Amino acid sequence: MSEFTRYLGRIASGAASLVSGMEVTIRYMFKPVVTVRYPRLRLDIPEGFRGPVELVTDPETGDHNCSACGTCARVCPSGVISVQGGKKKAAGQDGEGAKAPEDPFVITDSFIIDFSRCSLCGLCVESCPRKALRFSHMYEQCGTSRQVAVVDLVARQKALAAVGCEPAASRPGPQQQAAA
Amino acid sequence: MTPQAMLDPTHTLSEDTFYLNMGPQHPSTHGVLRLLLRLSGERILECDPVLGYSHRGQEHIAQNKTYLQFLPYPGRMDYLSALMFNHAHCLAVEKAAGIAVPERAEYIRVICAELNRISSHLLWLGAYLMDLGAFTPFLYCFDDREDIMDLLLPVTGSRLTYCYSRFGGVAKDIDETFVTGLRAFIKKLRGRLKDYDKLVNKNVIFINRTRDVGVISADMARAYGLTGPCLRGSGVAYDVRRAEPYSVYPEFAFEIPVRSGGDCLDRYMVRFLEMEQSLRIIEQALDRLPQGPVAPAKPVRVVKVPAGDYHCVYESARGQVGIYLVSDGGKNPYRMKWRVPSFSNLSVLPKLLVNTLVADTIAILGSVDVVMPEIDR
Repeated sequence: MSEFTRYLGRIASGAASLVSGMEVTIRYMFKPVVTVRYPRLRLDIPEGFRGPVELVTDPETGDHNCSACGTCARVCPSGVISVQGGKKKAAGQDGEGAKAPEDPFVITDSFIIDFSRCSLCGLCVESCPRKALRFSHMYEQCGTSRQVAVVDLVARQKALAAVGCEPAASRPGPQQQAAA
Repeated sequence: MTPQAMLDPTHTLSEDTFYLNMGPQHPSTHGVLRLLLRLSGERILECDPVLGYSHRGQEHIAQNKTYLQFLPYPGRMDYLSALMFNHAHCLAVEKAAGIAVPERAEYIRVICAELNRISSHLLWLGAYLMDLGAFTPFLYCFDDREDIMDLLLPVTGSRLTYCYSRFGGVAKDIDETFVTGLRAFIKKLRGRLKDYDKLVNKNVIFINRTRDVGVISADMARAYGLTGPCLRGSGVAYDVRRAEPYSVYPEFAFEIPVRSGGDCLDRYMVRFLEMEQSLRIIEQALDRLPQGPVAPAKPVRVVKVPAGDYHCVYESARGQVGIYLVSDGGKNPYRMKWRVPSFSNLSVLPKLLVNTLVADTIAILGSVDVVMPEIDR
């Protein structure tokens, strides 16, 4: 008899725990949806987001500020940056493009970065003496080969400028804010 | 029994025993853990964990990078508590090189580390309950975890593998939005913890599957070097934050949840109660958050560590992290040994699983909460 009572007791306590659990679930059924219907609706990317790095466009010159000093390439933990460039002319001989008179006029030929191996630690952006780098807001990064992740940022900036598109196009403007 | 022994053609099995490979792709091993089980029916006779599937040689990488360049790597060890590993690495190097950290930076680090601990426990909570067959809590936990990520995203810039601490400070100061958002989140999570309590902690199915399953006695826990919630679930009140306080932890009032049973339910409860304590720490840190700089005026780029050996301990979400750093005075560490909690916690498994059922393996393994990249490094 006592065994049977215990059996009934177990059923009763099991049913009680089921009801208390269901109470929580049912309560949440009437709360607003927390998910976003992703490709149609997107959330805004906050300012501090670290996407693949890109070159900052100087609003005055319309060009980047990189002087090919190579600090970013040296500090990079994964060695994914390679900057090519050199002193072409001393400042003053051809003032065009020189940021400051005392600066040697440096041309950055290429700024190649392999995004696939970048760990987005931010050391390159922080170490840049001319603040020529920043994080983009790109987050949909996929490609069909490893090679597509290797990008020459200088060439990309030039190509984008040629079609009248700012490199900042990688920073999507205000998007449809999902209803909270 | 070793994997090699299985290949031995002379090796024979008695009629009623057989081998079962659990993992490395089994969903409940949470990563690339392979458990080689010798079974008699449903009963486990022997268990042999096979490790190393995500070995990347992190300690060797450390020897070939400067101290600064190794910054993003610790976060890839325990990717669920990346901020804490990042913090631990910075503390170790700062201790060795004698770099002073502004008080505000240290408070911010503690706030973020505790947030990371909560998010790690929430992920574990959801995943563990899903292993045991409850899908609903998983969704709720991920909702809360998403809030933490949304809070940390503008500050740290990442969602999972954070690289936020720098030598002598943090990469970015927190703002008013973060503080108000965090206070709202603390309030919300307190309500949610009550919901979880109702939803899970009193559920008979859950209790029956975890109570008296996988019992680790206090002596056994000590003998195997268990730390973190696994040790505290066995009745040993050891927490590095109290035993060897680092950072600004001595300034906060918090309790160390301890359970004496040593079974899966106790380990579960310790983690569950720890979340509330982390909330308390964050609240106190927000109240006392000092003003001032968050990084040295001149960023530390080249670290000079005098020759010698240094040791630093840290309490991560899974237990004690120990960093043994040997320097020869050069730019790179001569040796950087990481003692990670999951490895020791996993080492108890072969003993723990003997004479249990296959279905309980999942409950036991989940309750130990291992992160494989941390073990394999």
